Amino acid sequence: MDTLHFLANGFLVALQPYNLAFAFIGVVIGTAVGILPGIGPSSGVALLIPITAVLTGGLDPEAAATSGIILLAGVFYGAMYGGSTTSILINTPGESSSVITALDGYQMAKQGRGGVALSIAAIGSFLAGIFALVMLLLLAQPLSELAIQFGPAEYFSLVVLGLAAVTGLAGKSMIKALIMMTAGLAASTIGVDALTGVGRFTFEIPSLYQGLEFITIAVGFFALGEVFRTILDNNGNETIAKIGRLLPTKKDFRDSVPAIARGSILGFFVGILPGAGPTLSSFMSYTLEKKSSKTPERFGKGAIEGVAGPESANNAASGGAMIPLLVLGIPSSATTAVLMGAFIMYNVQPGPLLFEKYPTVVWGVIASMFVGNLMLLILNMPLIKVFAKLVETPPQYLLPIILAICVFGVYAVQVNVFNLVLMLVCGILGYLLVQNDFPVAPLILGRVLGPMLENNLRRALTLSDGDYIIFLSHPISAFLLATALLWIVVPVLLKKRGRKVIVNEAE
Amino acid sequence: MGNKVFDRCAGGAFLVVGLLFARGSFKISESAYGSQVGPSTFPLGLGIILTFLSIGLLYQTFTYGAQAKAKQQKDYKKLSLILLALCLYIALFETLGYVISTFLFLLAAFQIMDRSKLLLSVVISAFFSAGVYYFYVVTLQGSLPAFPQW
Repeated sequence: MDTLHFLANGFLVALQPYNLAFAFIGVVIGTAVGILPGIGPSSGVALLIPITAVLTGGLDPEAAATSGIILLAGVFYGAMYGGSTTSILINTPGESSSVITALDGYQMAKQGRGGVALSIAAIGSFLAGIFALVMLLLLAQPLSELAIQFGPAEYFSLVVLGLAAVTGLAGKSMIKALIMMTAGLAASTIGVDALTGVGRFTFEIPSLYQGLEFITIAVGFFALGEVFRTILDNNGNETIAKIGRLLPTKKDFRDSVPAIARGSILGFFVGILPGAGPTLSSFMSYTLEKKSSKTPERFGKGAIEGVAGPESANNAASGGAMIPLLVLGIPSSATTAVLMGAFIMYNVQPGPLLFEKYPTVVWGVIASMFVGNLMLLILNMPLIKVFAKLVETPPQYLLPIILAICVFGVYAVQVNVFNLVLMLVCGILGYLLVQNDFPVAPLILGRVLGPMLENNLRRALTLSDGDYIIFLSHPISAFLLATALLWIVVPVLLKKRGRKVIVNEAE
Repeated sequence: MGNKVFDRCAGGAFLVVGLLFARGSFKISESAYGSQVGPSTFPLGLGIILTFLSIGLLYQTFTYGAQAKAKQQKDYKKLSLILLALCLYIALFETLGYVISTFLFLLAAFQIMDRSKLLLSVVISAFFSAGVYYFYVVTLQGSLPAFPQW
């Protein structure tokens, strides 16, 4: 068993004391990010990239990449645990994938069963997280062996599919999402061209030679934009519901176990799909639970399945989302796009070659996710009351400090004021654009995938002597392009027919 | 439907960017390096696509219906002040050095958010700015602008 052998090595890496520490820091910050308003998983990860770069500065490149990504991945799935806390206790989701949890979770809290809801959310998240990881283990190797046979034409089309999927589901207006994606791709061409060394759109300004740095853009658009939004929508004080007893009863378990199982499976497969991700999966799981229940009228009045299902689903989806990221190098959501930016910053290119070239990094990270999920379960059960206190952090102090951390982080990595100005501009633009339904996720994705798209385009066209038919004459490539087209066209058609289309808003 | 005015401005802005991008990519020097697909192909294509998408968006804004104006009470004054503070912070970042500029920014921002608890604001600002500087520069040997040399 190759996989088991690799996994065992991964555990050796993940169980190194400093990697345990990194995983711990990651999940604790992730939980906090999930709880704190004004900062979601994508901005949390974006904000922490510079800081992890600083923390891992002294290690050798491969160890630095492993530890850094262990921490950042911890933030990503940790936020899925934390997000439920505020949904349940104050009816205010800390991030978008826990919106649906508030429906029944808050009702449970009002009935004095808040602690039970929190425990079930944590247990469900844990089981779903482990399930997603096991599936990741089973699927990663075979998928990467398949993907390794892809040539540049197939890869180009695959990237197009990834972009189309995220864009198709990204917001209310398809054309706005497409504009944002194209703008992101365009931004990625600025700087010195890697293949020829020619400067593009640099206008002889030295700061532009390196291009518009991904981290700067991500921190600006996600973190700053979100802080600006929170300052404007300053919504007074919330009262926290009583937590009460933590341990679920036998009946609670009986009710929620099937919901957790369904949520895990559904969430995992939705998570793999490009463009879908945790938010969508939690909505779908809630609908599924309500439809499959014998007593659907209990939903919205504190049904424990309404917490268990979606919370399992969003965590399974965040595990599932790691598959396209690690195996294909195509992030399927805003947060995984930011994670991919982190891989690239450490000079580790996600994709089929990842498992061959950087086994230590990838298996270390996978193993650490087992450890991290366990930490989260342990942290979340007894310490939930401590974490819940975070909700009371006064925004007066929290928001300015987040701004100061943005400035520190970007400056620490780039060491010039140009990037600070760029970050500020992105922050203001990000706020204005999101306010008017221009989704940010496609832009970030475009910036991350731009270089990959262009390189494969040029390589494919060099192979075919400039003939664009190569993308259609290769069957896999043609199939991927057709799927991409459907992903854009079908939602538009459905909307035209007056059907409601679920979209990933916020994030 | 979106905000008509903003969407028109944004559509116009993206249109200009698209056109400039397409025009700019003609200026990218072609390399002698073999293939027909040089460094300008991709940006040119993007510029053209962006141009067409923006025209599409502008066209769409004419189909927007009359807008129901649901003005929410939003704290624009607070945000503008915070933005001003942030601009000053970035402008003075390298001149004043990390500790002083961060301290001033945080103190100002705390007070803009809520004009109370001045002492606590001072303490937190001082603690954060000095703490980050100590941890990053002294412990991790990173580089941040130090104190100004007076």
